Amino acid sequence: MDLVQQQIWGWNIATYLFFGGLGGATLALGILGELRFKMGKWFGILTSLLGLAILSFGLIWLVIDLINPMRFLLAFWIAGFGHSWIARGMVVINGAYIFGVLYAIAAFLEKDTFKKWMGYIAMFCGFGVTTYTGLLLNANVAIPFWHTPALPILFTVSALSTGCALLMLILAAMKSHEAEHFFHFVEGFDILLISLELLVIFAYLDFARLGNAAVMKSAHMLMANPLFTIGFVVLGLITPLILEAFASVKHSAKSLAGVASVLVLIGGFLLRYLIVWSGVFQYPHGIAS
Amino acid sequence: MARYGMVMNVHACLGCRACMAACSQWNQTPFWAEDFKGKWRTRVTEIEEGKFPEVKRYFFPTICMHCENPPCASVCPTEATYINKDGIVLIDYDLCLGCGYCIEACPYDARYEYELEDLKKDEFYFGEDARHHQAHVDKCTFCVDRLEEGIEPSCSATCVGHARIFGDLDDPNSEVAKLVNTGKAKPLGPYMGTKPKVYYIK
Repeated sequence: MDLVQQQIWGWNIATYLFFGGLGGATLALGILGELRFKMGKWFGILTSLLGLAILSFGLIWLVIDLINPMRFLLAFWIAGFGHSWIARGMVVINGAYIFGVLYAIAAFLEKDTFKKWMGYIAMFCGFGVTTYTGLLLNANVAIPFWHTPALPILFTVSALSTGCALLMLILAAMKSHEAEHFFHFVEGFDILLISLELLVIFAYLDFARLGNAAVMKSAHMLMANPLFTIGFVVLGLITPLILEAFASVKHSAKSLAGVASVLVLIGGFLLRYLIVWSGVFQYPHGIAS
Repeated sequence: MARYGMVMNVHACLGCRACMAACSQWNQTPFWAEDFKGKWRTRVTEIEEGKFPEVKRYFFPTICMHCENPPCASVCPTEATYINKDGIVLIDYDLCLGCGYCIEACPYDARYEYELEDLKKDEFYFGEDARHHQAHVDKCTFCVDRLEEGIEPSCSATCVGHARIFGDLDDPNSEVAKLVNTGKAKPLGPYMGTKPKVYYIK
């Protein structure tokens, strides 16, 4: 058996995975704030469009990573919808664009029933984008560290957490009573998400400790990398968890939550990069060149 | 309708790499890559095993395994990767998006990127006869164009030691079918569930 670190996907894909997840989560959580927390139509319109803008920014990196970026239109040829997560991802992403924009238009025109329906479908697509980024890596049977059901869960939780972080930054700058209320909801939700993320990371590494040579090598690479241990786990998860928990009991401590949000965003990016970086092929002996 | 497969007799491989030369000439793969970046449809790797004085060194030919359950095809978003009527895993270059998903998914390292600079080199070396016209992911085709003309793939045709044996696995009288059916030749990594059609005598 030959263990070879994968070199095909790198920064570009990691950047896409991060901004794709962040965009999808921002879209979904922003619409949630407008539909359920009475944040007003402009909040809904601006957060949904911001989410789509972030998603678009991420997609640029995906296109750059193609062998010939000029052939990106072929991505719309989704014949592999039945089995490929890139094809399914295209459908979900297009759904997010179509229903996100329809929601924004309906919110602008104040067509309430239509807005609600479009909003819920756009939220579903937004969540779909966050989950599919994990499923995308999960489908690679040659890389056992990615080929585990924990990865989509980790990426979904992390993407929603970064979405919460971004919304907290926006909400911290707003003064209304509704914004205050939604801020505390997002803060509490983020605390739950970060706790879950720690749990998933723990389970993931414990699974890696026990088995399969390639998975063990990936985990060793991560544990030996300070970007992971200090950068992601300590500064990207534990520190913001403590800061947010502290901020949630002290109502005036929005700046603490702001710092925590920035750390969560950096941590989310590091996680994507490190997971992509630590992918190790497990080739039958003799295959590796 | 056939079910083409190949048997690699590792004991018979001399490591002359004539197969790599023949393949890269016939299929115009990037033999011009300066650092031999692994852009080959077929490779022969050197393997050293054991500790002195019990050391063994041998040559290991590799190729696309033409799996019956190919992970590369199951991740392809555009269905550019498909299995033809003879069980050969092929790529429709016109549909290939170039996302590299299949390269990541292949557990046999059989695929590589045919990049824009390779297209220029291909045209430089082969002129009008150049066969690659757009950037795509490339891999072994069992020389499907040669099979249509009734000749075997260039690697097995050129193999000096008869280490590469090509044939129809469904024809019980063929050499490959006999080697596979008697259990002498075994696939690589069968635990992955890919059902490869290239077998090894080790």
